[in-house]
Amino acid sequence: MELDVASIFMTKSVDDEFPTTHGALALANLEAQINGIESVAATGRITLSDQAGFIDLVLLRGEVLARIVDYEWAEELANELTRYAPVNGAALLARARTRATFHRFADAQSDLDEARRLGADAAKVDAERAAIFQAIGQYEQALTLYIEAFERRVDFNSLGDLATLHAECEEITTAERFFSESRSCYRGVSPIPLAQLDFKRAHMWIVQGDLKRARSWLDSAVRLLPGYAPAQGHLAEVEAALGATDSAIARLRPLTISSDDPDYVAQMAHILSQTACSKDAREWLDRATARYIELVARHPEAYADHAAEFWLGVGADSHRALGLAQKNFEVRPTRRAYELLARIQHSVNA
Amino acid sequence: MSDHGSGPRALTDSTVDITDMFVFPSPEQSGALVLILNVFPLAGPTAHFSDVVDYRFRIRPVKVPSPGTGTSFAVSEKEYIFSCRFGIPREGTGGTQHMQEGTCTAPNGQTVSFRVNDDEGSSGKGFRTFVGRRMDPFFFDGPAVIQSFAARKLEFKSTGNNTMYRQNVLSIIIEFEVSTMFAAGDGPLFAIVGETVIAGRPMIRLERFGRADIKNVVLFPKDADPVNRDLEIRDLFNQEDAFKLGAAYLGAFRSRMNANLAVWDNIDGTIDWPLDPRGTHPLTELLLADFMVVDISKPFAEDSYFEIEQAVLKGTSHKTCGGRAPNDDCMETFMTIMINAGHGPRISDGIDKPAVPATRIFPYLVPPEPNPPIPKLPKIDTTKAEAIDGT
Repeated sequence: MELDVASIFMTKSVDDEFPTTHGALALANLEAQINGIESVAATGRITLSDQAGFIDLVLLRGEVLARIVDYEWAEELANELTRYAPVNGAALLARARTRATFHRFADAQSDLDEARRLGADAAKVDAERAAIFQAIGQYEQALTLYIEAFERRVDFNSLGDLATLHAECEEITTAERFFSESRSCYRGVSPIPLAQLDFKRAHMWIVQGDLKRARSWLDSAVRLLPGYAPAQGHLAEVEAALGATDSAIARLRPLTISSDDPDYVAQMAHILSQTACSKDAREWLDRATARYIELVARHPEAYADHAAEFWLGVGADSHRALGLAQKNFEVRPTRRAYELLARIQHSVNA
Repeated sequence: MSDHGSGPRALTDSTVDITDMFVFPSPEQSGALVLILNVFPLAGPTAHFSDVVDYRFRIRPVKVPSPGTGTSFAVSEKEYIFSCRFGIPREGTGGTQHMQEGTCTAPNGQTVSFRVNDDEGSSGKGFRTFVGRRMDPFFFDGPAVIQSFAARKLEFKSTGNNTMYRQNVLSIIIEFEVSTMFAAGDGPLFAIVGETVIAGRPMIRLERFGRADIKNVVLFPKDADPVNRDLEIRDLFNQEDAFKLGAAYLGAFRSRMNANLAVWDNIDGTIDWPLDPRGTHPLTELLLADFMVVDISKPFAEDSYFEIEQAVLKGTSHKTCGGRAPNDDCMETFMTIMINAGHGPRISDGIDKPAVPATRIFPYLVPPEPNPPIPKLPKIDTTKAEAIDGT
């Protein structure tokens, strides 16, 4: 899958408060970094730490453009790296990141333990560990590590981590304060970290059901980084919920081509199923179904959550959804996972 | 290395990552000076300059210190700035190739527009520019130097591993007639700093470059520092004004430099730079003032890096233009000075020239390496990789 740089130089984005590099430039430059390091790797002159950094870049592109193929590539690279350097902390740390991306949290934790034993940077290991604690609902442990990082250095990252944790715990006032403080601490010019922060803030408001606030932060994220697929996807979701279905469809259509994440295809199916376009909806539905089946087979831990939502909703297969939600709850026993499971059980029993 | 990835900020945003700076009298044109600022290590074909960053050279007249007054150059308050800004790329005619345009404003107020990667370059009265992707001229066995510091012994091989071999960067190349930019009476010695700063107000400095590898070789290692053993100090150093370091972190910079310079000095088992009773290394104050010094009255030389500073250290008169030309093996010069003060054999890292040497014709740096085929899975040289990371 090639990044279509040509198609994303069309809009101008300037955040008056925080001047950042135009989002299309930032994405093109991310692509240029990846291509550049690949060239070095091809000559066999890449160092191990550069290779670990390369994996991070591929993961970042995967996250920004919603490209599962990049996550899978990063996982392959990390596996290869640890085969070549099995007793290197940086290599294990890189593999832990890819495993956590696919929600294989126990494997990731064990890599982190080993990475630390082998002398990997304690702060980096703890940052990864905290993110995993947060993902699996062990918020106290996550908070302890985030506070330690915050006490070491008050900066964009440490404040942002505290913001997302409080958001996850639905401590909204505190989360808002940390989000604002984190944003005001930013001293870089790359729009990517800011867009990611705004996206997390928007997600908090979606969970809270305040779609207007969510929309304003999603607008900010896509203004900073127009090619940021998850932000565009959530913005489409919010727009559809607010009745702006044409705008939502216009946002989703390019994502269904550029991204291999079935969420956008499923959203199209959902929106069209509520209009008169039932034939179109059927086609999108079939496409989403096939892709979810494939992903759940390949990465059950990572996609059980979204796949369960899909089959509970437009996929219309509650029994299949139930099994996936149970799997999801095993992997991440969080309140959200429990609520999803309860909704599905209610649907099955109804 | 040199200045590639010289801090967490640079590592996360290549558009602001200064990799190198070169300053030298023009070999083509008498009375002209050349400034080169390279950014974006390992620049792939879609690499662009940021539209919100000011890429600039700050130039100040300096004088050598008077005998017996230490090693610090006397820096004038007067400053000349070349400033380059970039726009958002737009689609080229008939294809998907995107063109980026920009402007360069000279100290005399003149502004010229240019197109990135335009082989013709651009010119104004008394100066010309080329801006675009070029092959990275830096050459040095960076992994071996990291390994050497960790092992406290030199790990250079007869054939070094240049990790930047045939890789590309984004270059800003300016050549100007000195008489059209500087006031009569200024010079002939000038100090130059390359910077990336957030354009507009408040101005925030992102990266700066004075001399090669001050940050990655002299400031980066933490373990010898008796004060801050867990402090990533490079971004703090990057944020400072090279011509006027603030008081807040000066002690931290001094401590780190004194400690690491002592390690380098002793790496051959001989101390050539004894510390003073307060533990200060003789090179510390000179290197803390991290700018490149050039004498515009002297002709172009390809091996004059740090010669002016060496003369200051010896209390003699310099003989060359100083500065730094792209083919100069500046890292061997610098490593030799740090390790044996020039009293012993020249320290060699096993790499003596760029992958493709720079020319003596504007724009000096050679065209970029066309992209090699991209494999699905990069191969790792594990013997080197494991050694570098100390495992």
